[in-house]
Order: sequence, then structure tokens, then C-alpha cells
Amino acid sequence: MMGEVEKTFIGGLHEQLTEEKVIDESQLDPDFPKLIRKFGGKDVMTCLQCGNCTGVCPISLKIDYKTRNIIKCCQFGLKKYTLGTRWVCATCYRCYEHCPADLNPAEVMIALRHIAVREGIIPPFVKTAATNLVRYGQSVKPDPEIEKIRKELGLSKIGIDDPAFGKVIREVGVLIRATKYDRLIGIQEEVRW
Amino acid sequence: MVSSYVYFFGCVIPNRYPGVEYAVRWVMGKEGFNLDVKDHQEFSCCPVPGIFYSTDKDTWLLLAARNLVLAQDDRRQVLTVCNGCLASLLKATEYLQDPKAMGKVNRILAQIGKKYTGVPRVSNEGKRKVFDPVKVRHYVEVMANDVGLDAITAKAKRPLKNIRVAAHYGCHYLRPTERTTFEDPNDPVMIDRIVEACGGISVDYEDKLDCCGAGGGVRSHIVELANSLTQDKCENIEAAGADCIVTGCPFCLLQFDNAQKSFSKDGLPVMHISQLQALAMGIDPISLGFDTHHVSAHSLLRKLRGL
Repeated sequence: MMGEVEKTFIGGLHEQLTEEKVIDESQLDPDFPKLIRKFGGKDVMTCLQCGNCTGVCPISLKIDYKTRNIIKCCQFGLKKYTLGTRWVCATCYRCYEHCPADLNPAEVMIALRHIAVREGIIPPFVKTAATNLVRYGQSVKPDPEIEKIRKELGLSKIGIDDPAFGKVIREVGVLIRATKYDRLIGIQEEVRW
Repeated sequence: MVSSYVYFFGCVIPNRYPGVEYAVRWVMGKEGFNLDVKDHQEFSCCPVPGIFYSTDKDTWLLLAARNLVLAQDDRRQVLTVCNGCLASLLKATEYLQDPKAMGKVNRILAQIGKKYTGVPRVSNEGKRKVFDPVKVRHYVEVMANDVGLDAITAKAKRPLKNIRVAAHYGCHYLRPTERTTFEDPNDPVMIDRIVEACGGISVDYEDKLDCCGAGGGVRSHIVELANSLTQDKCENIEAAGADCIVTGCPFCLLQFDNAQKSFSKDGLPVMHISQLQALAMGIDPISLGFDTHHVSAHSLLRKLRGL
């Protein structure tokens, strides 16, 4: 089962790297480390390739996802390969705790997600969560069954009928539009304010 | 000085585990420790770090700052009950310490008539106003530090005799350590101490500080991968002979609860530390909303009654 997961979600990084034995310069983006810095990652060039990050990564125990390899690809500027790995990091920050170069690989993964989204690689659940936020003010969709239980427990109703709720939605809408996040994620038709 | 708080329940608790909300209110309220804590109707999502912090930091900071402004204007500390809310809001207060970031945020917040400054420090010395960042707290840490373990023991009318509890802390309660942490991230003790204060036994198990698997969008993206991490944890917990799993994070709770459903075995009951505390303080279990949990808490409740 994990083999399937690997193929679909880490974009077959390993196979691609071994199949195309020669990687010519046209595939390298020398500005890639700079781009990662722009989105809040530290300088990937400081990586010593010690492998501590991979050793403590809970995901790398399960699938062929090696933090160190991804950082190495970032150093080379192999943008195409690294962007395929964007969403499997659990951001547990164990790599950060064990990194002797103080690189914080988890933040590099987050920078890669930023870049991937700007290249149009947007997983559906990001759209769902963002849509829920602009519709309900929360990223989890209210559930009528739960609403019933809330009533039984004597808890207040969730938003929607509350007069304060309309204000929340309006304000969230204004902020999301101000940063153009709605256009970035492709949910502009959901923002009514 | 006694602190005053404002509840920040986030998204998962009110919409998936209302029993946790009930338990927290009960423990904090008149029946329990009678703390000065109130609601605020205008909080939005924190916003969730796995989505917003991962895709656009500017939007994330703005939305988090909006929530912080509401607490700032109330002059109250934000009481989070979720590791995700804690990580998101705490990190935002740190980003906003940078005057440049704060200015950028405030220029946009002006559009909705809000301004983040931090909380003015009350002091008579000098005329210059000094601002402190809005304080973001976690339920577990408030219980251990502000309420105190002795008070928890004193209120535990029905101590959890012979109940073996496996504590799960969750990544964002502990890491990254570049931000201020409440306790040693390599040897956290607060949940264990609260369990013991309630009369239970906190069992040690292998890889206690490991991730539940849900964070960072892994659960939303590849549920099989997240579940296989949870399975490892559950095997270790079962090997230690625990009766239930207790966590301080509703997202870890959701992951343990849902993942165990996909395994062949029955699974161990999972609950939030506030629910366990409420049980020890003598609440009627019917109010804890265990019917919204996938793994039944029946086995634990029977053992509690001494059956």
C-alpha cells in the first residue's frame, strides 16, 4: 500500500532521479535556493548532508521520502523534482531539533509548498479549507449532527445565526482579498465581500 | 495577580468534539476552578498552520493578528485548547514583535478598523508606553502552572484509581524550540503530572514524543500514511498496557480516534485531558459527548465504576 502512496504523492522522486541518469544544466535552476529564502526558508547551502533530519523524520520511516535528499535537490536547483514532494511533511519539527547546521528543514518544506502553490500545484484540501474559512469563518465545516449534540449539551450554536458571525465573515473576506489569497488558491468566487 | 483568559476553541473542538468544549468549560467554570474566563464571539479559525502558514505566510499572519487584536482589546490572555491554535497564534505574536511586520499587518488591518499593538504594560515608571505581546497559553500549561497540581488533586472527588493512561503531547505543543516553550521539549511532564494529580497512573511507552501522523496536512492528503504512523504509536501504547490515550490536542485526538477505526482491533478510548479531568472531578460522563468519538469509551467508564 505504501508503494502506491509513494508513487502518487512524492512524485516518484527516486525513480526519476535514477532513470534519467544524466541531469543536464537546463534542468537546474540556480536561483532556487534564493527563492526558498524568499518564502521564509533558511539558506539550503548551509546543509552539511549529515542525514540527521532523515534519521528522525517519522515519514521517512514509512515511505521513500528522505529529507536530506530533498535538501540536496534544493541545493542543485532541481525544482521540478522537489516540488513533487511538497505535502508529505508533518511539520513535526524533529528535523529542526536535530539539525547541526540550524537549517530547519521543516521550514524549507513549507517554503517549497509556497513555491508549489504559486506554480499552480494546489491540493484540493487547501481549497476546501480556505473555502470553509471564507464561508463559515472556520476551516472545518459545521456538521448538523454535531450541532444537535451541542444543543443537547447546552452549548451555544456555532456561528451562522449569530449577528457577530456576519461581521467575522466580512472581515475575513476583506483580509483574504487584501493579500490576493483568494486568487492564489482559486476561490475568488467564494469571497462575497 | 490572577490572570484572566478568553476561550479560543478553534475549529475541530466545536465542530467535531463538542464534549471537549463542554469539559473545558466545566473544569474552568463554577463547578471546577472558577477562573476568570470569557467567550469572544468574533474569533475566526486561528488559522490552521498546515494550510495557511504553509501556503501564504502574509495571509496567515493577518488572520492570526485579527484574532490576537480581539484578545488584546479585551486585555485577556488567549486560552487555546489545541496545539495547532497554540502554534499558530504563538508564532504570530513572535512575528509581530518585528516592527516592520507589525506595520505591514496594521496597514491592512486598518481596513477592518483594527490595530495590533500588543498589551500596554501597566507601570508607573517613565512616560514611554511599553507593549507586551498578547499572551497565548495552552490549557495543559494553565492547569499545571496557574491552577496547580495540588488544586487539581483537591478537586478530584472520584480519583482515577488503577486507570492506566498513555499521554500523547503532540508535536506543536513541544516544537519548534526556537519559540518559547513551556517545558523541556525532550522530557515533557505536564500531562503526566495532571493525570497523576487526578489519581491515575501515567504509563511510559516507547517513542512517546513521536508524531500522531496527522499534522502538516498529511492526514488531509494521504490518510493511509498518517494512519500507518498512528498504528505504530498505538502498538507501543497497547504494549504498555494502557486503558486509554489522553492528549492535549483535538487534532491528535481526531487522528487517533479515526485511525483506530480503520485497524482491525477495537482500539483504545481516546480523549482530551480536560475530559479525563472532568471525569476525575465527578462529572456525569453523559455530558462529555463520547458518542461523537469513534472508539467507544465504554471500557474505560466501566473500569472507572469498578466493574
